[in-house]
Amino acid sequence: MNKMIGLYRNFVTNYKNIIIFILLIIFITTIILSCQKEIVVKPVSGYESQLFIECILFPGEIPRVYLSKSMPYFAGEVIPQQLFARGASIRILKDSEEDILLADSTFDRFRCRWIPFYKGSVSAEFGRTYELVVNYDGQTYRATTTIDQKSVSIDSVIYTPEFFDIFGGHDGVILYFSDTPGQDNYYRFQMNRMIDNTRLHAHELDGLVSDCTEGKKFLSVDLGRTIFSDENVDGQAMELYVEVSFEYQAGDSAWVYVQSLDKNSAEFFSDLDLQLQSIKNPFVENVFLKSKIEGAIGIFGSVVRSDSVLFIYPQDNP
Amino acid sequence: MIIKFMKIFHRVTINLLLFAIGITLYTQSFAQNRYTISGTIVDNESGETLIGANVYAPELNKGASTNTFGFYSLTLAATDSINVVFTYVGYVPQIKKVLLDQDLQLEIQLKPDIGQLQEVVIQSTISDENVERPQMGVVEIPIKKIRELPFILGEPDVLKIVQLLPGVQVGNEGTTGYHVRGGNVDQNLVLLDGATVYNPNHLFGLFSTFNSRALNNVTFVSGGFPAYYGGRLSSILDVTMKDGNNQKFGLNGGIGLISTQLTLEGPIIKDKASYIVSGRRTYLDLLLRPFLPEGNESDYQFYDLNAKINWKISSKDRLYLSFFNGKDNAYYKETKGINYRILFGNTTATLRWNHLFNSKLFLNTSLIYNKYQQNVAAVQDNYFSQVYTGINDINGKIELEYFPNPDHLVKFGVLYTNHRFLSGGKSELIATNNLSSKLNIDNVDADNFNEYAFYINDEFRISSKLSANIGVRVPGFISKGTKYNAIEPRTSLKFGLTSSSSIKAAYTVMNQYLHLIPSSTASVPTDIWIPSTKQTKPQLSQQVALGYFRNFKENIIESSIEVYYKTMDNQVLFREGNQLVENFDIDSSLVYGKGWSYGAEFLIKKNTGILTGWIAYTISKTQQQFDDLNFSNSFDFKYDRTHVISIVGSYAINERWTLSGVFVFSTGGVYTQPVGRINVFHGPTLFEGNYLVYEERNNARLNNYHRLDLSASYKKKCKIFKIPFESEWVFGVYNVYNHQNPYFVYFKIDPATDKPTANQVSLLPIIPSITYNFKF
Repeated sequence: MNKMIGLYRNFVTNYKNIIIFILLIIFITTIILSCQKEIVVKPVSGYESQLFIECILFPGEIPRVYLSKSMPYFAGEVIPQQLFARGASIRILKDSEEDILLADSTFDRFRCRWIPFYKGSVSAEFGRTYELVVNYDGQTYRATTTIDQKSVSIDSVIYTPEFFDIFGGHDGVILYFSDTPGQDNYYRFQMNRMIDNTRLHAHELDGLVSDCTEGKKFLSVDLGRTIFSDENVDGQAMELYVEVSFEYQAGDSAWVYVQSLDKNSAEFFSDLDLQLQSIKNPFVENVFLKSKIEGAIGIFGSVVRSDSVLFIYPQDNP
Repeated sequence: MIIKFMKIFHRVTINLLLFAIGITLYTQSFAQNRYTISGTIVDNESGETLIGANVYAPELNKGASTNTFGFYSLTLAATDSINVVFTYVGYVPQIKKVLLDQDLQLEIQLKPDIGQLQEVVIQSTISDENVERPQMGVVEIPIKKIRELPFILGEPDVLKIVQLLPGVQVGNEGTTGYHVRGGNVDQNLVLLDGATVYNPNHLFGLFSTFNSRALNNVTFVSGGFPAYYGGRLSSILDVTMKDGNNQKFGLNGGIGLISTQLTLEGPIIKDKASYIVSGRRTYLDLLLRPFLPEGNESDYQFYDLNAKINWKISSKDRLYLSFFNGKDNAYYKETKGINYRILFGNTTATLRWNHLFNSKLFLNTSLIYNKYQQNVAAVQDNYFSQVYTGINDINGKIELEYFPNPDHLVKFGVLYTNHRFLSGGKSELIATNNLSSKLNIDNVDADNFNEYAFYINDEFRISSKLSANIGVRVPGFISKGTKYNAIEPRTSLKFGLTSSSSIKAAYTVMNQYLHLIPSSTASVPTDIWIPSTKQTKPQLSQQVALGYFRNFKENIIESSIEVYYKTMDNQVLFREGNQLVENFDIDSSLVYGKGWSYGAEFLIKKNTGILTGWIAYTISKTQQQFDDLNFSNSFDFKYDRTHVISIVGSYAINERWTLSGVFVFSTGGVYTQPVGRINVFHGPTLFEGNYLVYEERNNARLNNYHRLDLSASYKKKCKIFKIPFESEWVFGVYNVYNHQNPYFVYFKIDPATDKPTANQVSLLPIIPSITYNFKF
């Protein structure tokens, strides 16, 4: 034992400088490499769930109201059925007429889940003003909208294999039409296609796979994420570059529309779009959603569609 | 009510200034025979000017201080012989008996105090400036004193010391810059020999760009701004470089774990011209490279270089040429998480000419060039962001100091700056973690604009108890047909209660024509500098402050309590959803609002003895309000910290060993946390997904920040090849108990489960340091 201690002492004495140097290097390396320490953050407490109301009226169509509850940020419920606000009383009023909406649902074969909503029985009409009244859990929520936007006429739709916007590079389509002069207009792209599960959705990039289509084709309504306004181009020719949601092959056909939105809808969906970008891109400023319905989160607005234009993809997607 | 009070103070300032000028002229014309003692006060070993040294005639109870160039002027009534005492912290006082029957020029050389001074003499020379001086919020830090303060990572650092003062706080760990009385980092003016330094930090804020071995003096002003300072709302840090030893050659250096520095100085012509060159570089990049794991490409290096030549052309003229260059290059890349490249650098060059017209009128003329560049690129979650700022300034100043009598010190001057700004940014989705630049600088338009200012300031004594510092500054801005002008009254008043206590009040108006727009979300410094435009109006602040100052035990212990209220108008932030695009229209990316801050600052400080140090505590609140943000409601400022505590101590065990420590605590910073989520689902469109519900901006707080640093230094005189030198070993530990202080928070939603997670990232753990310093 004494011999071992003696050997150790000799070793330290002889190699003291080297030992100190090595220890220093280990110190520095350990410290610098252990730079980032992650700690779980406590959520802000005291959040009370709010009602989310979304209703867009289309002339000639039966109205639907999507009614759900917001959840605390860190909560786990994410599927529509769990969030659906059941037992609400919903009416849409036009002058002295009343349309009572009842619970209904559709099955989203691409996401394999039920989408519940409240559905009316009276089609909306152009030029009329409507009031939405929602009674839920002892609270009443009201909003109004008037369907008075002018629809546009699409001049042409062409394919583009690549274009760049602030979100990056995309493939998609370019819509050409003329803006209606003398008023503020807001536009959004719509594409209707019959597709099956061979046409993957953009969200497939996130690793999700749809498997409820059973190889059959179903109608998909693809809405453009960007809201375009005619600010500074009133009455002029418009050129909208739009990214599409689904993959395609040469020969795939689709019906393309331009939606004309009311101002409230335009602002609300534009906020959604900006917020989605801020969620994905950590360098984009946070976006607060500004509700258009007092006391709740949501929108009661209207859209007028243009006539459709048949579009056939000239090539496979890149 | 406070606004009304400010308006009254505004009017009072103008009237008092006119009164002061009138009294000055009156006393000049009707004064009895008066003679002036003037000259410079320098260190007798090196010839370095001593800034803020005191000249005092005790029989007449009159005094003066040296200016930034070591010049003093004291006009007294003619008399038989009197004693004039020359003192400076850390030096042996000198007393001269003079016969005042003509103007006298006295060049004084003070000897450094090597610790043998009798305690009673020490006590009698300790300054009572904090009680007597009419200005509030001013701290002078002679560089000799900095070396007695705690070393952080083995380096005495000016900026680290400033951050321990009341009213000053750092941002989140790892961020650069500091915040004074609720202001953002761009609201601090940092000057090095008169040149603006836009980013005075290295290494994630651990070091400043100031190598303390090349510095002579540091003045920090956080309130009661005299009129000769302007252009920023919240603080002034005025750093003066050494001139260089004009007696003999000197070499000093330090070798540490993080960096090494070397300083050379010496006479070019003895007593007439000298130089100093000081350089520092880190070598973390060289040390770490062999040890990085596979896939991790990280690199960090910084350097800075200070150089100065000065030439005493004659007894009335002196020329200075100083130069600074510093650069940081940080690169962090691994397979996941945030990757970034941060590149920034400052270059300044100052040519100054001092001229003495006579014993009462001193001129300083400066021609200054400075250049700042910052290029930050980051990749996180497949998104790339890059921000570039380039600023080139050419600046001319003419400043005069007039010493009509001991009761007045009048400063007036004019300055002009031409700025050339280049600011751009870009953010986009990318396929790979590629940090290569994607911003084409050629596509970014440069902005040229001009800034100017006139000022006049008088520090004067109204009576034995009442003194004031009154001034007016008239700044202006011209760019592309846009003009802004302003009038900035500056008032500080002091009323002496007793010989060791006083109360003070101050009112200041400041304008700032530059803006640093902070990002609210990014975890790396993606802020952009922009000039004012027609739409982006100059920032404006009004500040009132009141304070009680009390010294104890013959000025050995200083204490103060200050309260303040400050408004800040024309504040700018990025619009919600703003994403940087190349050559973006800045005005359409911004929203405008206001801010306000109020608080109380407490300080108790012991200046001499075996144990020295201070305790500083600040309690404050800073908020902002923007019509286009947060539903128009007010919200906490990003760097609002309710409580900030600094405890600083230095204990000299004996002549060789000194222990020192720093403890800091601050309330956690704020950030915006979403409170809820909604699902938008209408079929598989790009719209579909989870959206966030925000109720309030900056509604959450990071964990509190606290940290303890300890250091021990061992001094010894040694010889090498029979040449004597002073050596010093400094052993230190930063963040002794390894507290995980917050750097930033990020949120992620798992795409498979849609479940969010939030994580706080910490940056700086316990860091030991060893430094060996030597001085020949």
